[in-house]
Amino acid sequence: MIETVKQIYEEHRSLGWVRIYRLAKSDLIRLYRGAALGWAWALVKPIMTLFVFYFGIRIGLRHGGEVNGMPYFLWQLAGFLPWFYMRRLIPGGAGCIRKYNHLVTKMKFPVSTIPTFLNISELMVHLALLALTLITFACFGCKPDLYLLQIPLYMFLMVISFTSWSLFAGMLGAMSKDFLNLIKSLSTAIFWMSGIIYDVNEIHNKYLRFVLKLNPVTFISSGYRDVFIYKKWIIEDKVGIICYLITLVATILGAIWAYKRLRKEIPDVL
Amino acid sequence: MAINTKDFAEIRKVREENRAQEGERKLVVSFTNVTKEYKLYKTAKARFKGLFSKKVPFKVNRAVDNLSFEVRQGDALALLGHNGAGKSTILKMVTGVTFPTSGEIYVDGTISALLELSAGFDGESSGRDNIYFKCGLLGMEKEEIAALEQEIIDFADIGEYIDQPMRSYSSGMKARLGFAISVNVKPDILIVDEALSVGDKKFRKKCTAKVKEIMANKDVTLLFVTHASETAKAFCERAIVLEKGRKLFEGDIDEAIEFYEGTQ
Repeated sequence: MIETVKQIYEEHRSLGWVRIYRLAKSDLIRLYRGAALGWAWALVKPIMTLFVFYFGIRIGLRHGGEVNGMPYFLWQLAGFLPWFYMRRLIPGGAGCIRKYNHLVTKMKFPVSTIPTFLNISELMVHLALLALTLITFACFGCKPDLYLLQIPLYMFLMVISFTSWSLFAGMLGAMSKDFLNLIKSLSTAIFWMSGIIYDVNEIHNKYLRFVLKLNPVTFISSGYRDVFIYKKWIIEDKVGIICYLITLVATILGAIWAYKRLRKEIPDVL
Repeated sequence: MAINTKDFAEIRKVREENRAQEGERKLVVSFTNVTKEYKLYKTAKARFKGLFSKKVPFKVNRAVDNLSFEVRQGDALALLGHNGAGKSTILKMVTGVTFPTSGEIYVDGTISALLELSAGFDGESSGRDNIYFKCGLLGMEKEEIAALEQEIIDFADIGEYIDQPMRSYSSGMKARLGFAISVNVKPDILIVDEALSVGDKKFRKKCTAKVKEIMANKDVTLLFVTHASETAKAFCERAIVLEKGRKLFEGDIDEAIEFYEGTQ
């Protein structure tokens, strides 16, 4: 186990952050290349999602009024912001080794860095969306405050979680297309069984609440909302932190297990 | 690669003389009881189940079977064998792309393999950026690469395209740039697959000349893979004959070729 951690560290060190950054950048360019709107798509898709849910919930179901003195739209935006990152990496992470199979099968390459640069690539989009979110909040008259300082922390936790996830799922996804498809179909479930659309704390059954809090999407999404809407500090939701940490440790262990178990087998399978 | 055997006769002679003078040379590649098995499952589903349970049945294809050999610095070793003899698997293990099921592999020095020439390029970056990227993966520092940059560009001879994203390259251009990088990085170990073909006649000539130039350095180790014996004779002095992953014969090139031809 420790050997594998050392190996992963060594692989990152030998490739170097400059090269990891460059790989992340070209991953990003590849994503939007060839589309007439190019970079605008990074914006259009999230806006579309927000609009659809706003329409469905606020106008269709006539639900969701002001939350903590802020318009429903802002409540929605704060929770969805990290989801735009996570929704790309749940299936994207599972497919990452397969996507870059030429680096695995054609040359000697530190394979454990593939999830890392993929997440950095997505983080760049996230940063751009974050900037727009901050501007939107400012337009609605929300002044920046100390709570916003927690954003880098939540962001860091999100990147750690999903990099581990990508390594774990990417290795398994490379072994089996069935696993890849399973994750793709689970993606919707993960979304609805998280705290993005509703507040998990309002669920009465405490066991169910606990299960939903094990979903890291819940923690990150409510975290962003705590920052933007509820103005709470991260330590105020102790159960949430514990649940999140349980999942995080499980994911990291899973990632290390998968890398140790499959690294040598992957080039023969892909 | 089209190789004119006469070109290399002289170099081989010089290298042999050099070797005779020296005593013990550094070990650069060694295989100790290396076995490589591929697990063949009936379906992809069975393979996935096999990750978690040992009960799932699978067949084993032994591509390399208990192979041991040593290569010392300055050696030129030919791997002779028909299709399916395990040559490519051996090379993949030497380059570190794939890993043995059991046994030890030791490799010391930078390897340049003229195998998958257009592999590992990033289509979105320019050819120039890719030079830095690929050389970096070979473990070179930025300054070292900068010193080689022009040489590589001149050799690849792709003109203005060097600053264009590589996705706009033709497959020939990619292979040429790949070859240019592989041969200009001053490898300690050069791996050449005879089946390789790059570019037109003019470029092939240039390639042969370059391989010759590298070979002239007596410290460079060569691994040459082929299923035809004549070219192996041109610049290898030792050969291993392989069949179904097993070593049938190891020794002097002339004897090895005689043996190999007997197996045909």
